[in-house]
Amino acid sequence: MTLIVSNASVTYESKDSPPVLALADASLTIPRQGFVVALGASGCGKTTLLNAMAGFLSLTAGSVTVDDVPVTGPGPDRGVVFQKDTLYPWLSVLDNVAFGLKLAGLDRPKREAKARELLALVGLEGFEKSATYQLSGGMRQRVSLARALATNPEILLMDEPLGALDSLTRETMQELIVDLWASTRKSIFFITHSIEEALFLGTEVVVMSPRPGRIIRRYTLDFVHRTVASRDAARVKSDPEFIALREEIRNLIHQTGAESDGRHLLARAG
Amino acid sequence: MVDISLLALAEGATPSAWSPRGLRAAVARRGIPITLISALGLLLAWTLATQFKLVAPLFLPSPFDVATQFYTVAVDGFSNATLAQHVGTSLFRILTAFVIATAIGVPLGLAMGLNRWVNGLFSAPIQLYWPVPPLAYLPLVIIWFGIGETAKIILLSLAMFAPIVISAQAGVRSVSQARVQAAQSLGATKAQIFRHVVLPNALPEILTGLRLGIGSGWATLVAAELVAATKGLGFMTLSAAQFLVTDVVFVGILTIAALATIFLTTLRLLERRLTPWKGQD
Repeated sequence: MTLIVSNASVTYESKDSPPVLALADASLTIPRQGFVVALGASGCGKTTLLNAMAGFLSLTAGSVTVDDVPVTGPGPDRGVVFQKDTLYPWLSVLDNVAFGLKLAGLDRPKREAKARELLALVGLEGFEKSATYQLSGGMRQRVSLARALATNPEILLMDEPLGALDSLTRETMQELIVDLWASTRKSIFFITHSIEEALFLGTEVVVMSPRPGRIIRRYTLDFVHRTVASRDAARVKSDPEFIALREEIRNLIHQTGAESDGRHLLARAG
Repeated sequence: MVDISLLALAEGATPSAWSPRGLRAAVARRGIPITLISALGLLLAWTLATQFKLVAPLFLPSPFDVATQFYTVAVDGFSNATLAQHVGTSLFRILTAFVIATAIGVPLGLAMGLNRWVNGLFSAPIQLYWPVPPLAYLPLVIIWFGIGETAKIILLSLAMFAPIVISAQAGVRSVSQARVQAAQSLGATKAQIFRHVVLPNALPEILTGLRLGIGSGWATLVAAELVAATKGLGFMTLSAAQFLVTDVVFVGILTIAALATIFLTTLRLLERRLTPWKGQD
C-alpha cells in the first residue's frame, strides 16, 4: 500500500483573524515498508500533514491518496498513534487493544487472543487486566501502539508518540518501534521535533519549516537499516556520519526558523 | 495523618490521651474521622446549652427531648401518621420525581451535548429557571397542576431536572477530540463513537448530575409539601412548627438530613464503583 500526498495545502479560516496557511504545497510519498519521518519545530505543519493523511481534516488544495484512491475520512487501513494519551480509561489494557476488533464485530475470544499477542509484542505481558491510568507514560504508549496495530493497518501514522516521555524511556521506545517496523513490515509516517530521533528512525526524513508550514529538505537514510542489522543503537547514534548529519540539520533548522521568525515579526510590525 | 504522629514521636513526646497532641495522635493512630469529632463536638455544645438553660426549650429542645419525641413520633405518630408513613410518603415522592427527572434529563442533556440545535432550543429556558428557588414557582405549578400529588412530584422533578440535564450536556462536551479521532481511525461509526466513547466519557459527569439533582430534591421537599399535604416529612415538620412543637421540628429536620445523607453517600459510592478512573486521567 502506498500513500501519496501531492501538492497539499491547508488554510485555517477564522472569524476574527486573517486566514493561516498551515501547510503549503507539500508533496510526499510513503512507500511500502517505508519509514518516513517529518522533522520540524512547532507550528511547521507536521500535525496538519498527518491529520490530512489520517483523514481528520480536508485539504484546501491538493490530494491524499492510498493506492490511487482519494482519502475522504479516517479508516482502519491507517492506524494512528497520538502524542496525547488517547486510551480509554474505562477499559482495561486488554480491552483498549481489542477495541478496534470489537468495533469490527470480532467475537470476544478471537479479539482477546489477538490483543494478548500484540501486548506480548510490545512487551506488556501480564498487564492485560491493568487499568490504563495506573501505567507509566511509556507503557501507555506501548498500549496505544498495540491498539493501533490491532486492526492490522498497512500504514501507521504516529504524531510525536514519544514527545511526552523522559529521554531514557524514549530511547527504549525508539528501539521498540524499529523492531516493530522490521518485524511487522508496516509503512510508518512519524512526526518528531528531535533531530536524533528522526535520523535514527527514518528511511526518509523530510525537514519542515514554519510560517507557512512546508517541506524544505529531504534526506534518504540507511541508519535504521544499520540498526536492524547490527542491533546496536548506541553505535549507530555515535557514528561520525550520523553526528555530522545531525549538526547539518540542526543548522538548517535554526537558519530557516530564525529567518521566518524574523519575517513574521516584521510583517506584524508593518 | 501519619506525619503528625511521626512528628509527635520524633519530639519524644509521650502523649496523654486528652492533651491536644494526644488527641491528634489518637486520631492518627485509630484513624478516627475528623468529621466524627466535629459531630460529637456539636452534640456536646447542644447538650451543654440546653442543660444550663442558656436557651429556652421552645427555641432549642435538649437532645434527650428530641430523642424521646423521635420515639413517640415513630410509635404513636404525629399529625395522623407515624414517622414511617411520613418517611414512606416523602420517599415515594422523591424517588418518583428522581426517576422522571433522570429519564427525561439524561437523554435530553446528551442530545443537547451532541446537537447544537437541540442545545440552542433548550439551554435558555433551563438556564433561566435553574437559579429560581422552587418556592417561587410553586404557585404556578399549583395553578397549572392543582394541589394533588402531581403538583408535588412535578415541583420536585423540576428542582432535580436542571442539574441533571446540564451535567449530562457538559459530560458530552468534555470528550476530547483526540479520543474521538482515535476511535474513528479504528473504524468506528458514529453510533459506535457515541456508544463506546462519548457515553462512557460522560458517565462521571452524569453521575455527578444525579447526585446534585437528588440533593436539590431533598432541599425542595418542604416546599413541595407546603400546600395540601396530609403526610410527608416536610408536612410533618411544617405542621409541628405551626403548633410550636419544636422537638418534632427537630425530629423532622434530622430525619431529612439523615435520609439525604444516605442518598448522597450511596450515589458517591456508586460513582466510585462505576467510574474509578474519574480524576485519574
